[in-house]
Formats: sequence, structure tokens, C-alpha cells
Amino acid sequence: MTGVQGMFVTATLLGALGMWLMLPRRGFQKRRWGALLAVVSLGLFAAQVPPLGATLDRTVFDVLALVTLVSAVCTVTFRSPVYSAVWFGLTLLGTSGLFLFQGAQFLSMATITIYAGAILVTFLFVLMLSDPRGRAYYDRLSWEAMLSASAGAVMVGVLTMTLSKVFSPDAAGPPVPVKPGSAAAAASPGETPTAALPAPPSAQALEANVLSAQHVARLGGELFGRHLLAVEAAGALLFVALLGATAMMAQGKIERFQRSHHGDG
Amino acid sequence: MDELTLLYSYQVVGAMLLGIGIVGFLARRNMIVIFLSVEMMLQGVSVSLVSWGRFNNDWGGQVLTVFVITVAACEAAIALALVLGLFRRSGVLDVLYWQSLREANQEPYIEHELPEPPPEPLKSWPHLTPAGVEPRIEEDLHRSHV
Repeated sequence: MTGVQGMFVTATLLGALGMWLMLPRRGFQKRRWGALLAVVSLGLFAAQVPPLGATLDRTVFDVLALVTLVSAVCTVTFRSPVYSAVWFGLTLLGTSGLFLFQGAQFLSMATITIYAGAILVTFLFVLMLSDPRGRAYYDRLSWEAMLSASAGAVMVGVLTMTLSKVFSPDAAGPPVPVKPGSAAAAASPGETPTAALPAPPSAQALEANVLSAQHVARLGGELFGRHLLAVEAAGALLFVALLGATAMMAQGKIERFQRSHHGDG
Repeated sequence: MDELTLLYSYQVVGAMLLGIGIVGFLARRNMIVIFLSVEMMLQGVSVSLVSWGRFNNDWGGQVLTVFVITVAACEAAIALALVLGLFRRSGVLDVLYWQSLREANQEPYIEHELPEPPPEPLKSWPHLTPAGVEPRIEEDLHRSHV
């Protein structure tokens, strides 16, 4: 086991332990120690990634990623479901900032409007029905906290280890295009995974396409040109979901109405 | 900006969001928090998709994320209708309440740990310190003029 792999294993173990300590359980809930372990684990994972170019870019990205991940952990570990929802709103803001950092302006706005504005507020309405302070017994317990935390941490560890192999600097030479069915791919399966990565786009190519100044116009052209059928299908799906939700609610009402009238008669 | 490093960083952030969402989905018992965790996993995937789209200089990633948001909206509508219906029948948001819906050959989940009792609610409310002086009411001025 090389040093890099050992680092990944350590980070995974620390992350699992930290999440386990932070999840709501009876007694022995040491949130601060858990948070400390989780931060160390996050730092170990982040140490594998080479820093982004300019200082300003790096700082902006680091702050956005930190806000997103910390609020995500808080969403999962807070006892009060209302606090969870509010922290999730912060996660959404962080994600929309990450989208904006990538130049996906429309998605950034859509995330704030649709997720934080519509979906999250609806969740909050439902939360107000139950005990919003986290005093309910089911908010103070977790299913199999150790196993769940380990599952998530192992998932992150395996994914990041694979990513580090794909993006490792020793394999990042001039990219060789390898066709999946070609003789070279068959001769050395999985030997140099970077060969499958295309060359990174130049700044001019990005300006001409994804980072174009007419962002929404280009995205809309793509959506209503190449993906028109998919847009129609998604619209139909939304409509059916709306009907389904209404029908589910109406069904209960009709049943109660009939029951109460039988009781009267 | 180094596009390869950017892609790598976004992949790691996406993977971590996915992992945290998995922990929440598996560990929490409140149905609403479970759905929040599912949405968080979708966010992780969206982050990954957008960065791949930029790396390949293609709109596909962003278009796919638009559809992810659409499906998430549908899912939220159906899920909230379901949760509301379940809450009306049971009065709790606990998923364990519905474990009688399991398969016939599945063992029931028996809770071994009981939660500690919730903290006592506030018995006395905080008082404001009295401020100002109570005005002296002059009987002559406040007599009824009827």
C-alpha cells in the first residue's frame, strides 16, 4: 500500500468516525470531536487535489466548496428537522455558487429559484406539522449510525481514489485517444485510464461554446433544438406528478367524507 | 484556469456531497430529512455533470442538470403528498412506524436503544426589566364627563 492509498484509507476511517460521532444517538454524542475528525478527513481528501491556478480563483472555489460541504454535514447531523432544512438551503446556495463558478449561470439561478425557493419552502411547510424542535424520539435516534457512516465514507473514499488515479499527474502526459473497441484498449485494459480523457478545451473554444456571452440563448437553443422531445416529456412528467399529488390528497378526503357520512346515517 | 484541475476538484466535491447524502439517507429516521438527503445526492451528481459538461465543452451536462431539477421537482411533489398522507394516518414522521409493510420473511427491526428524554420545556418565561415610571393618574382629570 503506497502512501497515497494509506492517506485515502485514513481519511475514510476518520470521516466515518467523525460522521458516527456527529449523528444523533443516545448518550456519548460528542459533536465537537466528530466535527474535528470530519474536518481533518476533509483536509486529507482535499490535500490530494492540486490547487487551482490563480489565488483568487482558488480562494473563491475553496470557500464555496467548504460552505457546501459543511452545511451538507450539518443537514444530515442536526436533530431538529427545521435546522436540517435551513442548512440544506445553505448547501443549495453553495452549489449554485459552484455552478456560477463554472459559468453555468442559468443553472445557478434555477437552483436558487426552484430548489431553495419552491421545493425547500414546501418541505418547511410540511415540517411545521410535526415537532419542529427535534424533540420527537425519531429525531434523536439513527438507524445503525456506525454502518451508515461507514457506507458513506467508503463510498467517498473509493470514488476519490478512483478519481486520483484518473487524474494522477504521472499519467497525465499527452492524451492518446483510445477507441473502446480498438486493439490497444483490448491489449491493455485499464492500464492508463487517462488515455480515455480528452484534451482539456482551450479558453477560446470555451468562449465560443459553453462560456459564450449569450449563455441563456445558447442553452435555450440546445434545450429546444436537440432536446425538444425530452423537454416535452419532462413537461408531461411534471403535469402527471401534479395530477398524482392532487389525486393522492383528494383520495383521502373522499374516503373521510364517505366514512363520516356513513357514521351519521 | 487549469481545466483538468477544475474538473478534478468538482468531481471530489460532487463525490463528497453524494457520500454525505448517503449517510443521511441511511441513518436518519425522519422522512423529511431522508428526502432532503436524496436531494443532496442529486446535487452532488449535478455538480459532477456540470463540470464534465464544461470539460467536454458541451451543453449536455447543463441540459441534463435541468432535467435533474425537473425530476426533483416532480419527486418532491409526490413525496410530500405521500408524507402528508402517512403523517395524517400515523401522526409521526418516523419511517419505523411503517415497518409492518415489510416482506413476510423479514425480521422486524427492534429498537435496542431508547432515546434520552427530551429536555424539559421552559417553566418560566423570561421577564423584561421594568423600564420607565408608572404615570400617576390624577383622579380629577380622568373622571368621566358624562
